[in-house]
Amino acid sequence: MTDVGCGYATLVLEDGTCFTGRSCGADGEVVGELCFNTSMIAYTEVISNPAYAGSILVMTYPQMGNHGVVRADLERDNVELEALVLSSICDTPSSFRMDLSLREFLAEKNVVALEGIDTRELVRHICMEGSMPAIISTLDHDAKSLLAKMRDTLESIEDTPVARVSTEATWTYDAAKCLVTPTAWTAPFPEPCCSIVAIDNGLTRSVLRHLAYAGCATTVVPWDATVEEIWACEPDGVFVSGGPGDPQKAQDTVDALGGLLGELPILGLGSGQLLLALAAGGVVDKMQVGHNGDNIPVMDLVTHQVSITAQNHRHTVRFETLGSLIAEESGGIAAHPLEGDLRFWAQEGCAPVVRNERFGRIQLTHVNVNDGTAEGLRFLDIPALSLQYHPALMPGAQSPDAAYAAFIQLMEAHAEEVDALSEKAKAHAEGTGAAHA
Amino acid sequence: MLSLRKRKPTLRGRGLPMPKRTDIKKILLIGSGPIVIGQACEFDYSGAQACKVLAEDGYEVVLVNSNPATIMTDPRMAKRTYVEPLTPASVERIIQIERPDALLPTLGGQTGLNLGVELAQTGVLERYGVELIGCDCATIERGEDRKLFAEAMAEIGLECARSGFAYSVEDAERLAGEIGFPAILRPSFTLGGAGSGVAHDFDELRAIVSQGLALSPVTEVLVEESVLGWKEIEIEAMRDCKGNGIIVCSIENLDPMGVHTGDSITVAPAMTLTQPEYQRICAASLAILEKIGVSTGGSNVQFAVNPKDGRLIVIEMNPRVSRSSALASKATGFPIAKIAAKLAVGYTLDEIPNDVTGTTTACFEPSIDYVVVKIPRFAFEKFKGTETVLTTRMKAVGEVMAIGRSFEEALSKGLRSLETGRGGLGADGKDEFDEERFAELVALPTEQQIFYVAEALRRGWTVDALYEASAIDPWFLNRMLAIIKTQEGLKGRALATLTGEELQAAKRMGLSDMQLAWLTDAPDEATVRARRKELGVTPVFKSVDTCAGEFASTTSYYYKTYEAADEVRKPTKPRAMILGAGPNRIGQGIEFDYCCVHASYSLAEQGFETVMVNCNPETVSTDYDTSDRLYFEPLTFEDVMDVVEAEQPEGVLVTLGGQTPLKLAQPLLAAGVPIMGTQPEAIDLAEDRERFAALLDEMGVAYPPAGTAASNEEALEVAARLGFPLLVRPSYVLGGRGMVIAYDKPSLKEFIQEAARVSPDHPVYLDHFLESAIEVDVDALADGEQVYIGGILEHIEEAGIHSGDSSCCTPPFSLSLAIIDDIRDITTRLALAVGVRGLVNIQFAVKDTQVYVIEVNPRASRTVPFTSKATGVPLAKCAARLMAGEKLSALGLPPDDRELAHFCVKEAVMPFGRFPGADIILGPEMKSTGEVMGIGATYPTAYAKAALSIDYSLPTTGTVFISVCDKDKRTILSVANNLAHLGFTIISTSGTARTLKAAGIPVTEVRKVGEQHPNIGDEIAEGRVQLMINTPFGRETRSDGFTLRTAAVRHGICYATTLAGANAITRAIEVAQRDAKGSGELAPIALQDLEQWEIL
Repeated sequence: MTDVGCGYATLVLEDGTCFTGRSCGADGEVVGELCFNTSMIAYTEVISNPAYAGSILVMTYPQMGNHGVVRADLERDNVELEALVLSSICDTPSSFRMDLSLREFLAEKNVVALEGIDTRELVRHICMEGSMPAIISTLDHDAKSLLAKMRDTLESIEDTPVARVSTEATWTYDAAKCLVTPTAWTAPFPEPCCSIVAIDNGLTRSVLRHLAYAGCATTVVPWDATVEEIWACEPDGVFVSGGPGDPQKAQDTVDALGGLLGELPILGLGSGQLLLALAAGGVVDKMQVGHNGDNIPVMDLVTHQVSITAQNHRHTVRFETLGSLIAEESGGIAAHPLEGDLRFWAQEGCAPVVRNERFGRIQLTHVNVNDGTAEGLRFLDIPALSLQYHPALMPGAQSPDAAYAAFIQLMEAHAEEVDALSEKAKAHAEGTGAAHA
Repeated sequence: MLSLRKRKPTLRGRGLPMPKRTDIKKILLIGSGPIVIGQACEFDYSGAQACKVLAEDGYEVVLVNSNPATIMTDPRMAKRTYVEPLTPASVERIIQIERPDALLPTLGGQTGLNLGVELAQTGVLERYGVELIGCDCATIERGEDRKLFAEAMAEIGLECARSGFAYSVEDAERLAGEIGFPAILRPSFTLGGAGSGVAHDFDELRAIVSQGLALSPVTEVLVEESVLGWKEIEIEAMRDCKGNGIIVCSIENLDPMGVHTGDSITVAPAMTLTQPEYQRICAASLAILEKIGVSTGGSNVQFAVNPKDGRLIVIEMNPRVSRSSALASKATGFPIAKIAAKLAVGYTLDEIPNDVTGTTTACFEPSIDYVVVKIPRFAFEKFKGTETVLTTRMKAVGEVMAIGRSFEEALSKGLRSLETGRGGLGADGKDEFDEERFAELVALPTEQQIFYVAEALRRGWTVDALYEASAIDPWFLNRMLAIIKTQEGLKGRALATLTGEELQAAKRMGLSDMQLAWLTDAPDEATVRARRKELGVTPVFKSVDTCAGEFASTTSYYYKTYEAADEVRKPTKPRAMILGAGPNRIGQGIEFDYCCVHASYSLAEQGFETVMVNCNPETVSTDYDTSDRLYFEPLTFEDVMDVVEAEQPEGVLVTLGGQTPLKLAQPLLAAGVPIMGTQPEAIDLAEDRERFAALLDEMGVAYPPAGTAASNEEALEVAARLGFPLLVRPSYVLGGRGMVIAYDKPSLKEFIQEAARVSPDHPVYLDHFLESAIEVDVDALADGEQVYIGGILEHIEEAGIHSGDSSCCTPPFSLSLAIIDDIRDITTRLALAVGVRGLVNIQFAVKDTQVYVIEVNPRASRTVPFTSKATGVPLAKCAARLMAGEKLSALGLPPDDRELAHFCVKEAVMPFGRFPGADIILGPEMKSTGEVMGIGATYPTAYAKAALSIDYSLPTTGTVFISVCDKDKRTILSVANNLAHLGFTIISTSGTARTLKAAGIPVTEVRKVGEQHPNIGDEIAEGRVQLMINTPFGRETRSDGFTLRTAAVRHGICYATTLAGANAITRAIEVAQRDAKGSGELAPIALQDLEQWEIL
């Protein structure tokens, strides 16, 4: 069956499972990794999140597009995901904030989209079988031919989605000039207290806004910026964002981080945590389906509080590969739990510390309450920390999230230390100068 | 080198100290008392969950609740169960006996919370060393005191609606200047909101306020910023002692601000909010919980959102579980009450497993992949003369919830769940519109508004015009338009021409087979069903799993939809399917849910996999862990058949859920579905008056002479034959709807017309009314061979008052042994003759020494829970076993003629306070919403407790106003005499005063209402009357009596409208006086101290 423009779209999974529904976006044929997101309301933010580059995204909530699309809420102007799969799309949205309907938006951004299939069944299939590649087409509806095309595409293209979503040139973020949610709902931006470099592996507007609220003046650099290029910006600290795909493919970022860790304060968020872990020699695994939603509970092992977080990634770091446990700082426990289920530490009531060969002590600060994966790390001997999630609350809605606040503290402490060092060096130089004289 | 430890972490912990509190062992739980409007069986659901979960955690639960129809008051649910008045004095007595360590008041609605606070504030808790858990008094005060709340909100940067009280027109002008226009003006304490209005400028303001000040008895008008027409959003949030906060569910009201959320159609999750707006509301909710001080439980927070600019106003918060939290629990699968109970004893959210998935914890926010719609159920037809416009004062008596994969599907399912005869959003041949007021009724919030809005769409009104008129968000209007377009696209087409795709599309819009049959002019819904199946258009069932399919779930909680894949788990055991009672309404409520839940427990014990079908989110039956499988579906033939086909049960139980499932018995049987227990044939025999009369004749059993009439002329003929008074009843109605007593020809004529309107196309039954007879209810079990008399209930009021509204006592307090023997004998013979297998309820009237049969209901009755608690025999459980084929002899029941050591009184609770304008008299049409129970060593003691449970206090001294109709003048003397001896001052209007004076009873005469001041109206208004006895004259409406009884309700005066009631109250007052002097007659009695029988 090859009815072009018949209004139908066909989705074929790597395992041959096939769904046919109505096309509700652009015409085309795309291949991507099939994944899903369980957010019920934040579809605008999810669809425009560059973390979904290379993905065919299924939204689990069945009625999508109810409030249309508000441009100010977009995480990026461009939509990076490959295709969107919905149960049903709303053509009569309602919101005083709306700029255009979701269907109009998908057409504008040239996104292939499909609606009218049993998305719950598709999601259950993914959860059972694991996320897998799939092809979606509005042009070809023959499952066999589509499957063959999908395999060809997967073989021929060595994709580095991070390269696609990252900025090409260095630029400076100016919060005041960017689209923001109605200002009446948020606090005004504070005067910046420090300047940072943000490595763009898929930076989102909300993260940039969070940084601005925390007091950062941000210079954004491409994902493959070198250590020298970053130093050239004279930053007080470095931020590394989350991004799409397998973090192991962002080797350039990992290399740069390897050179910066210990030299400058660093904060990694989302899969930025994985890049830091890789730089520290850790092993990163692909999960069955990953974390995809804005309802994911994460426990802080230090305060024992649980936060509900937004996440969108499919990889996780194996904490035990970062080093061997330091028993005296890990509640007397010298061995990692066998199954790698880090909720063990929540039960023990301690945040364990390992000795990393390159960077000294690393503490596990957060774990995922649902599946026991690592959600937060803190380097104890150098100024660096990471969280594998984004605080779910909107920037500016309340006081800056603890992670950003901690980053600022690291930079302040580091600056003092550097000052002290240079004072000392100065004093030393003066001393030696005096002695010389 | 990595050395690994093999220690598997589990969610429940392993030997580590858990934060569960070990310093408390015994917890007192307060229930919410009788079902009233605004406080229904959702608190049985929350309380029952709490009992279960606390017992599982090893706590000893002591429960107090005056409502015998609840599942929580089952003697097995708690260690000690007190069906006692929810008064501070009574609970203090219980505390004295039980000495609990803690009191948990947040699960018993506002009643429980108020009582808990009162016990704390009066020092009772401190005196007995009882800790208040789950909340603290300061939190409750901050949450409920408007001023403190507004201050707290301001401190965290949130707005409340601006308002203030005006005591003069100048005050109002000043306030309006601050608040701006439009302003809402509400005179305080006026009946039915009289004098309220919206002012758009100072002229209107002056006009409304000056009138309002005159109307208000306290000369006070509330001037409030108008948020009418704003979006109403509710958030269900929880917080634990570590400060973890989660949002369980967001709910958006289809009806904008101005209609009480209990009277609104609501949708979960919120549909029209963008993420920043939603996050702002979530952040505000958690901040409010923290600020108000909720640290171990759930709260409901209500917001108004201006649809034009997103301005956010906090309306209120309830620091306890609520109707909305029950709805949110059912909507998401997240059991808020259960979690709240665990939080109260020290757990934190992350330590509580999510038992729907079995793999995650309660510390997460449910993600759902369906849409939930809740629709309220009203009962205005029961309260003539009351205002039917919906306002901020709740009037709904029940609600339904429906789940679909779209709002359209869920709304359609919800509308047919209501059991108002509708097939969905119109298109069912039942639309009737008031053409003259059409445009007005499109805009006016009423029970019917949704159908008017749908019809307006059908008639081509634009969404913009409708939004302008109704302020219903365009999103909802557009979704309704999609349904209407689908309907209109099918209208007039022949069924045979519809393709599978078209039918599938119609089904996805939620259209019922009944609607499709009407639209395509097909003969009936069965034809549509057959055609659908031919074309392969069949439903699937999907799970409610809290996580949108992300994790595997272990709970079988399903809803129906038209999609590709089905998720129903393969059965492992034979299935027994129980049809629930649907939405609560007057005449069918929690009592039937009790029976269904008990049947489910009992059949599960017998090795069945139990399947529950119901659509009422307030109930225990729709808790996912009550039955093995739960289907949240409408109780219509189509929906039930779909479940039957999915489950293939061994049998379906139709006689436990009241009229709802009973009506389905015959169609189900005809469709080849096995019915468990009493067969539809037997049900028919009992319902068919002629066949039943023939059976009674054959058996030689007396019944009141009766006839049927299809016209006015026939009715007069029957009247001539039987003589007045006549009991007039329309056929096929519930709860005595439209039933009246006619004393003469003119009233008969009027009633016949009314009956024809209530139940057209059916004849009217006319029974000779046995005046001053004693009515008796019997609940019995039968297995086809043997009959077991569960209980004989003697009514306190004379015959002619609906059994649901009448107070009754078991064992009988005035019937002779001979009469009791007669009743037992007739019950046994009738149950066998009709062919009952399960429960049967027979109503008798005893006049002089003759026993008459009034009616036989071969099903569970409203009194089953009361009878079960009074006798200690779990009748509903027994019935389920009999229906599954067992014999009575196998159950090991105690002899049914054993003597009980105590008396139990059931008293009805009336909702008149909610329906200003409706008359407060009891009659053959049921009007009560709930009931209470009193247990005592004697009948007056039991009655006193029941009376205390309703009125919260009994007048033991003061003034009694007596005014009775002529036929009662002679018999009032003994009551008046007793009251005089008890120290009451008697006042009466002229007629009654003359009678009392003649008998030598001291009485002061007062002027009638409407006569010169001061008259009796003033006496009541000024609080100088403590007790009122007023029996109505015939069928009066706008008379003096009406005014007086209305005043009594408004001023909370204890009153009796029948002589028997007056007698009983007098005896109860006597008991209360003695108890106050230390006789101890009203001491609490735990159900566990009475005989309790477990079936074998």
